[in-house]
Amino acid sequence: MKNSRLSFFLFLLSVGQFSILNSQFSVGTVSAQNVTVTGSIQSDMLVPQNDERTGALKDEAFLANVYADVLLQSKTVDAGLRFEYLEHPLPGFENDFQGWGVPNFWVKARWGCAELTGGTFYEQFGSGFILRTYEERSLGIDNSLLGGRVVLKPLKGLAVKAFTGVQRHYWKWNKSWMSGADAEIHLNEWIPQMQMSGTRLMLGGSWVNKYEQQEDVYADPTHMYNFPEFVNAWDVRANLNKGPWNLLLEYAQKSQDPSFDNGYNYDKGSAAMFSGSYSKKGLSLLLQVKRSENMSFRSRRSQLGTSSFLNHLPAFTQDQTYALAALYPYATQLADGEWAWQGEAGYNFKRRTVLGGKYGMNVKANYSHVRWQGVTYYQDIDVQLSRKLSKSFKLNLMYMNQRYNKTVIEGEGGMVRSNIFIADGLYQIAPKVKLRTELQYLQTADDQGDWAFGLLELSLAPRWMFTISDMWNNGSTKTHYYLGQITFNIKSHRIQAGYGRTRAGYNCSGGVCRYVPATTGFTLSYNYNF
Amino acid sequence: MNKIYLSLILFLLTACSYIEEGDRLIYVKPESARRVVLLEDFTGQRCVNCPKGTEVIEQLLQTYGDSAVIAVGIHGGPLGFAGNAKYDGLATESGDKYFTYWGLEYQPVGLVNRHGAVKYTDWAAAVRDELSKSAPLRLDVDAIMDKGQIDIMISAYGTDGDVTGKLQVWLLEDSITAMQLMPGNVINTSYVHNHVLRAPINGLWGDDFAIGEGEQKERVLTFQPDAAWNPEHLSIVAFVYNNSGVLQVTKGTLNQKKYE
Repeated sequence: MKNSRLSFFLFLLSVGQFSILNSQFSVGTVSAQNVTVTGSIQSDMLVPQNDERTGALKDEAFLANVYADVLLQSKTVDAGLRFEYLEHPLPGFENDFQGWGVPNFWVKARWGCAELTGGTFYEQFGSGFILRTYEERSLGIDNSLLGGRVVLKPLKGLAVKAFTGVQRHYWKWNKSWMSGADAEIHLNEWIPQMQMSGTRLMLGGSWVNKYEQQEDVYADPTHMYNFPEFVNAWDVRANLNKGPWNLLLEYAQKSQDPSFDNGYNYDKGSAAMFSGSYSKKGLSLLLQVKRSENMSFRSRRSQLGTSSFLNHLPAFTQDQTYALAALYPYATQLADGEWAWQGEAGYNFKRRTVLGGKYGMNVKANYSHVRWQGVTYYQDIDVQLSRKLSKSFKLNLMYMNQRYNKTVIEGEGGMVRSNIFIADGLYQIAPKVKLRTELQYLQTADDQGDWAFGLLELSLAPRWMFTISDMWNNGSTKTHYYLGQITFNIKSHRIQAGYGRTRAGYNCSGGVCRYVPATTGFTLSYNYNF
Repeated sequence: MNKIYLSLILFLLTACSYIEEGDRLIYVKPESARRVVLLEDFTGQRCVNCPKGTEVIEQLLQTYGDSAVIAVGIHGGPLGFAGNAKYDGLATESGDKYFTYWGLEYQPVGLVNRHGAVKYTDWAAAVRDELSKSAPLRLDVDAIMDKGQIDIMISAYGTDGDVTGKLQVWLLEDSITAMQLMPGNVINTSYVHNHVLRAPINGLWGDDFAIGEGEQKERVLTFQPDAAWNPEHLSIVAFVYNNSGVLQVTKGTLNQKKYE
């Protein structure tokens, strides 16, 4: 264990030396013989401490998630790989997340209208109802495919894709085999009248097949399930765009796919979505409706947790960035089903008008509602107002009313009803000096009770930023979750050091959440892009 | 010929296995028990899916009996409930420590003869697999409750080779009526919990133990149970384990000494 830590420190030191060397001799990319080399290094580190107050535990002396990407690009061939060191990972990831190696490696060649990829790749068909493979490091998600993919654009307005391969499950590849194809036709490229009227119409269709062998899973001690070895999913969609209007219709269906997620149910799955938006002259409107049922689609039927998903359904709830608004984030319920609605209206009042004032004002209202079989899973109504009050001061105000079904989303806890009040002020003290202040309050009679949050952030452009914040539970625990950070940027390097506490909770992105235990300690993050 | 191959490939790729309703289950004869299997169920009163795990245990006990499958409900972990003014809790400090030690990530989850975490839908297959294996020793347990104290006698006989490991003895209680969160977030205040781990009798991880082939050994232990526990529903589970898993397990009900 000591030797691996020493090796890790030496690795970090060599990475640091490499990056400094690179920045001394070239800024951005290195070019030689028409080959461009780019890449990035990301390292998030934690020196944890025991904290009786929050329940944070010091299991190891030093934890870090390290990623290093390299990309070579030329006129006809690209290649890349990613090295990951997760042998002592940050808290809150699944056990299988631990490990190190080069899980991502690929070569891509372009020839005429064709593009061929061999190795690992990410792909999405349509909105992701039947296929979406992606990487989201904060959630520990990387469900890339290993195999081959071809993309053809034989005619203007026509794109066809096909792929085959296996899916990544942390440091292994699942045994099942996936294949698929997708086609999109942009009719406006072929119909001159549509081009002249500024109308764009895209029609698309996709199909994905999974082959997974039988396995011994028992319905009871004397009866074993007879699983379908082939599972097919298909998707059709149409996207119409004309002037300020945009309409999207999409429908997907999946054949019998009994799995742990759906309780080994033999029903088909389906998902349908309508999305319409309007945007013109300062006014923006959005309406989205989605219904999905039994659409959990994994490359391993007996898998649980966050890995091995082949598809992804958008959450239809707004991703919140303010701390207390994001305290109870929604995660898409793939296995059972959900009806989700989202509506949003925004208007930009011009400056030098009665309502816009001297500098203008933006108002936005959003409503999200998710339910299934008479049970509300999630609802939020929020109103945001953004106004520049003087030449140097801008104010954002937000009110949110939220209902969060903690039992459905987290497994226990009942319905949490809350009102959230947020004020965010940005003061330009000097041309290169900004001070941002956030004050937030969450009022609820449920779960742990009320919360208060305050933040001060001082930016000294272009290099320095100082942040202090405190999130205080004014309810049952009366605990302060304080945090202090210093951020330094120089050329392509970014270093952030801090100390503080984070509460146990859920880190969510795009409707997928992972549980994060409480932590206390020193943090250090390093990012470098070349 | 190329068209035939292309059609065949397309057919294979788009092949769809549709399973009719009558063909979805395959009958499998119950496994003949060559040994006893320990199933440790890491459960919790705030765990909505844990009653599903309990159903699987009940099915296994109905098929094989508790002379072949011994289940222990270990309450603890994030969804364990230690109790409050309104409801009694079954979670124990030992349960929390076991949950943390095994690095478990979710509930319900089980250990079947301690060969790695197994989700409840895989317990039947794992138990079948273990039942087919032989055990290197036999274990028996007798327990008598006398004036508030439990006297325990464990007998071991080596049947195959030398065995080195730990002997762990636990106290369980059945028929405890206490709250349980059910699917749909319904609190069932009349839920009956069985085979609940109340306390480890000889320490969290047991005592050192070794026995040779053909050797007979006995171990005597005493324990003072909590007065709130019902002696008529108490039982003793004893098992020998090492790094290769649980080698053998036994269970005995508590006899109460009667004074005339």
